[in-house]
Amino acid sequence: MMMIDTEQLTKTYNGRGGCRGITLQVPQGCIFGLLGPNGAGKSTFVKMLAGLHRPDSGRAAVLGHPLGRAEARRKLGYLPELFRFQDWLTPEEVLRFHGRLGGLSSKDARSSAFRSRIREVLELVGLSEAADRRVGGFSKGMQQRLGLAAALLLEPELVILDEPASALDPVGRYEIRSLLKKLRNKGVTVFLNTHLLEDVEELCDEAAFLYGGELLAAGPLHKLLGSAQDGSAGGMGWRFRLGGWLPESLAEVRDAAGDELSSALSLVESDPNGNALLSARVADREQAGYLVSVFVRSGLTLYEAGPETNSLEDWFIRMAQSRQGGAPQ
Amino acid sequence: MTMYMTATLKELTRKRVFLVTLILTLIFIVLFAFGVRELTGPSGLTPISSAERLLNSMVMLVLGLFFSQFLAAFFVLFTTMGTVTGEQESGLLLAVAARPIPRWKLYLAKWLGHAVWIAAYSAVLFVAVVWTVRSQTGIPLLMDEVLRSFGLFLWMPLLLLSLTMLGSVYLPMLGNGICSALLYGFALFSGLIEGVASYGDSHPAVGKFVLLTGLILPTDSVYRRSLYELVGGGDWAGLAISDMGPFSIASVPSNAFLLYSVLYAAVLLLLGCRAFSRKDL
Repeated sequence: MMMIDTEQLTKTYNGRGGCRGITLQVPQGCIFGLLGPNGAGKSTFVKMLAGLHRPDSGRAAVLGHPLGRAEARRKLGYLPELFRFQDWLTPEEVLRFHGRLGGLSSKDARSSAFRSRIREVLELVGLSEAADRRVGGFSKGMQQRLGLAAALLLEPELVILDEPASALDPVGRYEIRSLLKKLRNKGVTVFLNTHLLEDVEELCDEAAFLYGGELLAAGPLHKLLGSAQDGSAGGMGWRFRLGGWLPESLAEVRDAAGDELSSALSLVESDPNGNALLSARVADREQAGYLVSVFVRSGLTLYEAGPETNSLEDWFIRMAQSRQGGAPQ
Repeated sequence: MTMYMTATLKELTRKRVFLVTLILTLIFIVLFAFGVRELTGPSGLTPISSAERLLNSMVMLVLGLFFSQFLAAFFVLFTTMGTVTGEQESGLLLAVAARPIPRWKLYLAKWLGHAVWIAAYSAVLFVAVVWTVRSQTGIPLLMDEVLRSFGLFLWMPLLLLSLTMLGSVYLPMLGNGICSALLYGFALFSGLIEGVASYGDSHPAVGKFVLLTGLILPTDSVYRRSLYELVGGGDWAGLAISDMGPFSIASVPSNAFLLYSVLYAAVLLLLGCRAFSRKDL
């Protein structure tokens, strides 16, 4: 079953901003990352999934139920991006209140079983020692941990987290990453909206990229990165770090490389000290080796040569830049 | 619903809203009791007549209740003007509204949570003022009339609560507070104008003006009916009509108008539930 299934989901603000025509499927039991620069429409999309925004058009189902229905939110845990809990309550009281909002009766919310569940989630997010303190005295990171505890309280099947680690220190982020992995192992689906690409790279099985309110790419992470590496022009990317570079060197190495490879060579960066970084799209390793010999024959010093590593950050920047330039994907 | 009543009580007590309000209210009641004793008690120099004492008692009763409804109204305004947009802006509402509870239920629960404690505070004010005047002056009050008046006195701030909560769905916290306070002040002002106008030959336009403002926000009309019920419906209220200036009860809102106020609150609640259900948070 798809935990999230949207079709042409659209929400704009007086015809501007928001997101348009988002068709996306999130399978059960995975960690799904939603990526995109600021203003891409990620929060609008997430808020629609959580039932906080009403879509203008399109169709969507969360946990098999139409968007906005109480049933769709019954097994959903949600951590908003910019949220606050009641300053005047303790974490235990906040969680009991959320238990009631989640459908527990007054008796159930006061039962020993639920009290131990509250203690369990507070322990899980590292807040057990602050259980009796008022939330008003909490740091932003502690508030975020409490938000996560509230999202996990009622043992949801789907957890939507909007920037869950943005206020956390490195240790906190590591703990949250470990927690999300545990959730996935228990079969919980996690939908992660984050700017922290290393989190996505380490955690996510699948990802989607939003830009300007439109979905540009979605699918398993390794395939997304692989498709970017293969590139629209075909072949593989190589990088060469060279010394002894002069302004006329590019023309010289292009002539020496021959017709087939001259257009594949491009200058990424150079400096007045004679250092340069070149990239080339080659068919195989032999062609890359041939280029190395061309550089040496041209009197250049080769410091470094190797295939381009396609990190998520590279992919993210390339996707955003290609869109800014208007190039089709 | 009970969880919101409890949550609202915790908010009011832990944010010290109740503490500050009750301390200041106590100071008001003590000063009021002192004023009542001074104005209606036996004077050392010139003994006052029974009619004069009755008039003074009634003046103090009316003034006390006038100030009390003012306090109740401000309690409503300051505690509820940010109920929706204020909580939305601070982020309090996001995690709450994502829970599987229909928005209209959430809205009604919030209304009820506030209503209980607003009614409790208004009850304290009413009982304190009426008991103070009654115990110090012996003013003749009948229990059934006091109870009718009491019910209407509690109803007035609940009308204002319905309006303020509806406003909080559309307007930012401060804008809503100003808007609701101005509407409340406008209704209050029209009642005072009518009281002043009752001295001479009242211009028909004044009556229409009062009716119109009463339709826009019936708080002052309900308050005046509450007062009318308290002073016995008019057997000896002639004193009040002729001698209380802006506080006179120049016209008494009818039962039909009270019914209108109930419909008014019901419509505001319905509109609020509908608007809140459709609002993007």
